[in-house]
Amino acid sequence: MPKRNSSNRCLFWILGGILLLLGAGRELFAETRLFSFTTSKGLTVKVLQDNNMPFIHAQLHIFLEGNAQNYTSWAISQLTVMNMFVRELNSPPSNLLGMLQRQGNDYQVEQNPEYIKISMNFLPDRLAAFPKLLKEIFYYQSFHLKKFNQSRENFWSLYSKNKDWRKEMAFLLAYQQIVGNFYFKGLLFQEFVNKINLAQLRSFLLKTFRPDNAILIIKGKINPYFILGMIEKDLPQPSPQPAKAKKEEITINASRKVFVLNVNSPELPAIYWFDTAPAVTEANYLPYFIGNFTLFGFPGGRIYKSEKNQFLMAGYKVNTEAYFLKNFTIFCNYLRLNYNDLENFLLLVDQERRKFAVQPIERKEYLDALNFYIGRAQIDTNRFDFGLQGEIDRFHAKSSGSLPARIGTELFQEVSINRVVQVMDEQMGNRHKSGGKEKGVVVLIGNAALILNNLKILKPDTIELLTD
Amino acid sequence: MRVTKARIFCCLVIFPFLSVFAQTIAVNSFELPNGLKVILSPSNDMQAAAVCVYHMRGVRNDPPESRGINYLYQYLMFDGNENLEPYDHVLFINKMGGTVSGRVNYDNSFFYELLPAQEINVALWLESERLKSLRLQDRNIDYHKNQIYGRINRLWESNQNFKAQTWVNAKVFEGSAYEYPLYGDLNKIRFLNNDRIRENYQNFQNLANILLIIAGKFDINELKAGINKFFQDIPPGRRQQNPVFGVQNQGKAYQVKNWLIPGLKKNFVVYGIKSPAKISYNFIYFDFLRYYLTDPRFARLDYFLNTVNKLNVEIESSFTDYMEANCLTIEISSPKRINLEKAKYVMEKEFQALSTNLISNSDVKSIRSLMEIDFLKSMAQLEERCLRIGEFYHMFSELNFFDAQLKRLRKITSYDILESAKKYFLKENQVVLNVYAEEK
Repeated sequence: MPKRNSSNRCLFWILGGILLLLGAGRELFAETRLFSFTTSKGLTVKVLQDNNMPFIHAQLHIFLEGNAQNYTSWAISQLTVMNMFVRELNSPPSNLLGMLQRQGNDYQVEQNPEYIKISMNFLPDRLAAFPKLLKEIFYYQSFHLKKFNQSRENFWSLYSKNKDWRKEMAFLLAYQQIVGNFYFKGLLFQEFVNKINLAQLRSFLLKTFRPDNAILIIKGKINPYFILGMIEKDLPQPSPQPAKAKKEEITINASRKVFVLNVNSPELPAIYWFDTAPAVTEANYLPYFIGNFTLFGFPGGRIYKSEKNQFLMAGYKVNTEAYFLKNFTIFCNYLRLNYNDLENFLLLVDQERRKFAVQPIERKEYLDALNFYIGRAQIDTNRFDFGLQGEIDRFHAKSSGSLPARIGTELFQEVSINRVVQVMDEQMGNRHKSGGKEKGVVVLIGNAALILNNLKILKPDTIELLTD
Repeated sequence: MRVTKARIFCCLVIFPFLSVFAQTIAVNSFELPNGLKVILSPSNDMQAAAVCVYHMRGVRNDPPESRGINYLYQYLMFDGNENLEPYDHVLFINKMGGTVSGRVNYDNSFFYELLPAQEINVALWLESERLKSLRLQDRNIDYHKNQIYGRINRLWESNQNFKAQTWVNAKVFEGSAYEYPLYGDLNKIRFLNNDRIRENYQNFQNLANILLIIAGKFDINELKAGINKFFQDIPPGRRQQNPVFGVQNQGKAYQVKNWLIPGLKKNFVVYGIKSPAKISYNFIYFDFLRYYLTDPRFARLDYFLNTVNKLNVEIESSFTDYMEANCLTIEISSPKRINLEKAKYVMEKEFQALSTNLISNSDVKSIRSLMEIDFLKSMAQLEERCLRIGEFYHMFSELNFFDAQLKRLRKITSYDILESAKKYFLKENQVVLNVYAEEK
């Protein structure tokens, strides 16, 4: 009898052990794991396997030559994307839009001077069709003269539909001013759009929409080897890459200009304050990030603490957005405020930036900024696209030869206050000054006449008047 | 001892499997001795959590002579209490990288904090503070009454679309709980009695009408200790019967009205279409039609009006999302009146076509996928998940709806859509307001 008991117990524990092992294995399996590949056609594929995610999120980044852009190239890339992806231009129906619709139609295309980002969500049962969709994007052949003409005629209404075009325009202006030797003067895009022909779109597509000029990041409950096999099978060999002109190194203009974009709208005017910062993969990026919070962060930022302006600033909340580009980052701090507060705000920010030279970041400010960003990084783990930007940054870091960055809460803890003080001094304080000029752009959007009436101290020669 | 060992063993073995096979969103609940219902929806694959206080009361519970009282709480809830100054609540959460928001609607009210998981007790403390001792002094009540009046009045004076939509909503919901705007009567809001506002707050914060919903990552024992610490000394609320919702009868009569406005730059037409209640079985089918016609990712109405008929009209739409009756508002605008007239004709034909012809299978599949993706995305967002859990419990007294909802979504057929269109796209279900520029 005791023998039977002990064998039962033994069986019981063995069974338990097996179940525990299985369970633990599945638990490990439930974590997000990264698989990186480069297909034989040159497409970089990163699979973030997350078995808890009930749908699949994919982002395809196609790279553009940012600093080589001008009016014409901007119009060509915009028209290409419009002809391919705008749902309103689906007559006659295109194969690509049909495939996107079958995929669930939940897609979005964003464009900046350095890349086109196509992001989409679909259900796991559509995964098998996804590589064919990629093929259709890379080897698109459905340009149609009627649709092309329609896209030129209705360019502005199609471009501005369902998006914050004001912010996009402000960013475009800032980017061109920061990296180029020109800027979009007068925003008269339509006349450039009218000069574009279909052949230019085809040529742009052949040159740019290539697997070896793109990165695909896909997240969800995915078997990485299955998706890699499917992509290998479906993507044909790209045509030989045309000889590329030697790329000019991006140089950043050391000046700050104020632009006014005239928009007749009853809404309050908006200020977009752009600053250039180190690339996300550089060691100086995070110290700058923390420094920016010390200035603009709500509620602890210096512009809120400034006694003189405390009453004035009450109720205004500055939002911060970072554009992660290949060689540098652009920080955009923006808010809406009353016309009569515009100049006070601009002067206040300028004054507080100068103060970094004489009043370095204090320990409390540093800790507040760290706390905020560590918390924000933790909250971001709730987002379904969490982890994707980090992979793009790593991709850039590898291609530019730097060490890959670790984006996570642990990195914030490694940034010392001395490093932050030093970087802020370089970026905003004494060290960065070059002939009294600063790196960055300010764009004001609203009723230009009212804005100009309210700018009394700022010199008029720093203002460019643009119209929508 | 043997029993304890066996229990530990079972927990060790079963727990990992439960979490592995739990593909659905897990929801469970318990109740504090004072009657506060706590609902938990854990997700351990993240480092964030959301703490939400869901009030099963909204503007519809306003006393008829004091409409707008509950709407005021939307602002007063951020205005400090015994231990906190105005907006301290927001600053506390913002400092740790989190977000705070809240809204009082017709059927319910919802306040939440989204924050790092380890700071969950801060949110519990902040929420308990405002339930215990909300600052309801004459000074701050008067301030918010004036602020609301000023803001709505400015909109009313300057925005014809706002005026038009308010009128259409009032007609669509005539005789129902949603007939009056959220803020009640604009002319009376400044004269609401402050004692009445304080007195009514007892009902608003009655624990028997509140759900505390927590989603995200948390340690169950620490969380329970935190909830007990901060909420157990709040006096119990008066036990009330669970609200029973019923589909409200929206009168059936085609109503059309013309407004002529001097100096109007853009003519516009507002359609109010009486739509099924959220508690109704038909809601999901009408929601499908809403996606089909107005969702920007599908936008069939835009396609018919602008691509096929080249009318160059702007289309805006909104949906009320109420529990007992709804309204789909479609506004079309154009500087050319002739284009608007043509657009109205096309829309009428399109509504008729939807009521007589089946939608193609490929469209049905595509919209079903889109609805499913949106549903899954909303469940992935913690604050949105809390709201949906709260609403579902409020309407049906049930917690687990994820699987059932997905099942229903996946079963939608073109016949269901046809039936829904037949019922709701009738002319007598529409209120139409034409707003044209007055010609000199």
